Amino acid sequence: MWNQIGQAIHDSMARVMTQIAKLLPGILAFIVALLIFLVLGWLFAFVLRRVLTAMKFDEHVGRGARGSIAEMSPEHTPTVLITRLVFWCFVVLGLLVGLSAFGASSAEPGVAAYVFAYVPRLIGAAVLLFAGNVLARFLSRSVLIGAVNLNLHYARLLALGVKWLVLVLTAAMVLDHLRIGGAIVDLAFGILFGGIVFALALAVGLGSRELVSRSLGREAAKPSEVQPEQQKLRHF
Amino acid sequence: MSGIEFPAELQKKIDETSPVDVVIGVTGTADPSALRTKAKCLRGIAPDGENGQPAKIVVAFAGAAVADPVTALEDGMLLAEYPTAPAAEVMNLWRDVSAAQRSVLALAAAWQSRACMVIYGDLAGLEAEPVRAFVEPVVKGGIDLVMPVYPVSKHDGLINKSILAPMSRALYGKRVRWPLAADYCAGAKMLEKLASDGARAQREADLLWPSNVVAMNGGQINQAAMKVRHAPPADGLDLNAVLQELVGSLFEEAEACAAQWQRARASQPATRQGEPCPPVESGEPVDTGPMVESFVIGSRNLEEVWRLVMPPATVLELKRLARQEPEQFRMPDALWARIIYDFALAHRMRRVSRTHVLGALTPLYLGWVASYVQEVAGATALEAERRVDQLGKVFEEQKPYFVSRWRWPERAV
Repeated sequence: MWNQIGQAIHDSMARVMTQIAKLLPGILAFIVALLIFLVLGWLFAFVLRRVLTAMKFDEHVGRGARGSIAEMSPEHTPTVLITRLVFWCFVVLGLLVGLSAFGASSAEPGVAAYVFAYVPRLIGAAVLLFAGNVLARFLSRSVLIGAVNLNLHYARLLALGVKWLVLVLTAAMVLDHLRIGGAIVDLAFGILFGGIVFALALAVGLGSRELVSRSLGREAAKPSEVQPEQQKLRHF
Repeated sequence: MSGIEFPAELQKKIDETSPVDVVIGVTGTADPSALRTKAKCLRGIAPDGENGQPAKIVVAFAGAAVADPVTALEDGMLLAEYPTAPAAEVMNLWRDVSAAQRSVLALAAAWQSRACMVIYGDLAGLEAEPVRAFVEPVVKGGIDLVMPVYPVSKHDGLINKSILAPMSRALYGKRVRWPLAADYCAGAKMLEKLASDGARAQREADLLWPSNVVAMNGGQINQAAMKVRHAPPADGLDLNAVLQELVGSLFEEAEACAAQWQRARASQPATRQGEPCPPVESGEPVDTGPMVESFVIGSRNLEEVWRLVMPPATVLELKRLARQEPEQFRMPDALWARIIYDFALAHRMRRVSRTHVLGALTPLYLGWVASYVQEVAGATALEAERRVDQLGKVFEEQKPYFVSRWRWPERAV
């Protein structure tokens, strides 16, 4: 009996080792493909940056569409944005080629097929998350500065509200895109969004009626108070 | 070449009639019959030729005449229509005026004119005396640019007093009262330079800063009194939009000409010729409360953006200012100069989007206005002028700070 047990363990070990041995070339192929594309991406990005700098690409873009890129991503020049985009395209390409190589050399083609099917969703979700974050920051600052220039005392609260609204909306979209949570996300977002609107309606209608009406009244009365002073000053 | 091309018919007429002595260009559309009447009194603004022939004067305005763009008036004068530059897509205060000024200057260059007088579209400046006062020093004295000095009260032209004039003076080294003027006269040497203004003329968003361009090219600048008051159409434009346009353009100019202004040292006066403008007194007191309130609201809410633009010490000083009593509110000149320089640098570095940088400047500007209005409350217009001159000096004193930050923006201050 002990011999049979020993034989069974030996057989299972051999099977596991064989499976691992079958997977190893795939993993190695994945890593090699990724490394090759990383190097290629770095090289292409480096050459592209040199070419764009020599062409004074930033100045040309700045002249054509004045600051449209810079407005959304102020810390990066168009050249940096393009070279980074090219680099990350190569990285994604390397990932896909690596996965394909892994699938071809492994005995489990289902894994690669499943991952392949999910990759576009992951990319889409990453893009959504990035765009949502940039938009949230941009809109939040725009609202903050606009509200301050309108002399609203609650400017920061407004900006914070806009920021979180966009972030929550982005999170819901990302989860929906990844098909995580299913109907729960839709439902939760609907309840949250509806709740915010309902709370605001209640605040305006009931709780803070006096406060809001006083605030609105003050805002409405402001132009007539300020106007004579403004007329005495000429800024340009 | 100025880079501006004229329709074939107009170019043909220019070739036939060039060279001329003076081109007087109206930066806008005008009624031709009104211009004909006004043009009659312009006879004699320039000296006659050596053989006694009357000076050839062209009066130009923006129009759409394709068939007959140039008509002859009496005494060798010509009335010309130059094509209107396409209007900017967004509502603006000065972009369209700058585009028209470039067209007029290019027209004068094409006509090989000895002088070009640019006149604001309301035609208030189109009178013999002021035009002669501007044209004569250019034609006879060889001056490259004559800029206007307008009669304004101490509460007028506040953006110019607080930012445009002192920063231009400090950077480009010429003490010009109105660097972004509506009326001025340029000499033949500077016409091409002003019309093309490097590559920047191609950008419709860029304004033309005549005195800065001439100063950078080593030209001689004078100033003459222009006793008119223009009212640029600011309907539908709030203070924020005006600041974005004017100050944004000055910052862009600083970025484009960094190599030149870093070399410029102490400023030179721009000679004032003729009788000075009588000071316009403004006796009405102004309530600065709303402006101080705007500054305080900005200080409470915009710290996040201000910290990205200015060093911590400056933000701290602003916080301290926000705690002052409104009646005692004073913004030191050195602090104001450093604020403007920091914003110019942030505009260049794009740490925050440019719209946000200039938007975050508005409460600070209102703070400066409140401080200035309180300071000059009991002063005469002349004393207020001296106060503005003092601010210009402080901008010059703080220029090393700007140069240092421009060259090494990441270095802690």
